[in-house]
Amino acid sequence: MKHLSEEEQIEMYYGDGSEEARKHLKVCQECAAEFAKFKRSLDAIKSEDVPQRGPDYGDFVWQALRPQLIPYEKKTTGWHGWSWWKLATAAAACLALMTAAFIGGRLWEHRSAGPNDVAGGTNAGNAQPQQRVVLVVLTDHLDRTERLLVQLNHADLRDRSESAQLQTEARELLASNRLYRVSANKEGDPALAGALDRLEGVLAEIANDPHLTAADLERVRKDMNTSGILFEVRVLLTRKPNEEGGPKPAKGVSI
Amino acid sequence: MQGNDHSIVRAVLAGDKEAYGALVRAHSAAAFRVAFRITGNEADAEEIVQEAFLRAYQRLEKFEQRSAFGTWVYRIAVNCALSRMGRPEIEAEYRHGEETDAETKTVQLAAQDADPERVLLGREASAAQEMAMQRLTATEKCAFVLRHLEERSMGEIAEALGVAPNAAKQAVFRAVQKLRRELAPLRGNA
Repeated sequence: MKHLSEEEQIEMYYGDGSEEARKHLKVCQECAAEFAKFKRSLDAIKSEDVPQRGPDYGDFVWQALRPQLIPYEKKTTGWHGWSWWKLATAAAACLALMTAAFIGGRLWEHRSAGPNDVAGGTNAGNAQPQQRVVLVVLTDHLDRTERLLVQLNHADLRDRSESAQLQTEARELLASNRLYRVSANKEGDPALAGALDRLEGVLAEIANDPHLTAADLERVRKDMNTSGILFEVRVLLTRKPNEEGGPKPAKGVSI
Repeated sequence: MQGNDHSIVRAVLAGDKEAYGALVRAHSAAAFRVAFRITGNEADAEEIVQEAFLRAYQRLEKFEQRSAFGTWVYRIAVNCALSRMGRPEIEAEYRHGEETDAETKTVQLAAQDADPERVLLGREASAAQEMAMQRLTATEKCAFVLRHLEERSMGEIAEALGVAPNAAKQAVFRAVQKLRRELAPLRGNA
């Protein structure tokens, strides 16, 4: 069998040796002699005498330490100081409060809501945010339309790429313009409906011509008075949402 | 004792600072012994004892009641000693101090022993051991002191040094190997 290594000897010396190493040491004289030498060498390493401390050494340390210590605060308010039933009571109280708040909130909601709210959701509270969304969408549409008309009025009609770009934009605007016009009619907003109607004509002319030429665009510009429509769009854009007699965007347009 | 220590700890945490005195009185001797064995310097050991108890007081809320306070503060003392030995300026000072102490000690031995040849051998052995111990790293020396002189288990050593048990074991192995190598010529002479 393999003789004991130095590490195994160290383990044996400190009583951590394996059973196998112990057995080997009993049968192998060579290892036993080596281990005896090893043991003697470690036994010789002794601590130098630790200076004796008197019985009052602890007191001496304590007196030196005492002024440096800050007393711990009594844990009257911390969680640790609470007994389990106090914690349970506090938890139950919190739960009861939360339940009461939840039920109260639900009841309040039901009381403050009118019959229409439950049926159709068309009360003033719901209408306001919806109206804002619609106005933003409509304003965006009018903005895009305004840009298109400006472009049309100042475009170099001989430039084919510019014409194609106008046509693409007109096609996109045409579909949404129809929806806005129908909605404006339903809402009884003739100013907006009329402007959108005239605008639709211009957009349709540009969008639906498969061979749009510079001459066609010139004709649209003149015949359909795009400058006048542009003016109308700008007027619509400047109107305030709750202005009386206007397109009544405050009411919004259902889309 | 352990149960008593735990009730003292609870009292201290409840605001009774004076109760901590009982813990200091009970465990300062053991803390001094290990601090001295690691540093080899009396003044350093005394400082370490105070530092260990101060740190223990400051961390008392983190003390886990399932372990013994004595073991806990002992570990803190070992850590304080280790970090002190790791500081170069302290290490240099400590080595210088050790040389002086070794000298003093051999003088004391000489006074007790009448045989001049034995005195000489004892002095030589003691000096060689001091030198060999000084050549160990701080961790090796700490691990060796805890295993060989304090007779602590590998698990306790690992915990005290904040290393894995295998690393503690390797530190003890390295220390023993180095010491035996250093002291081999002396054994030959003897």
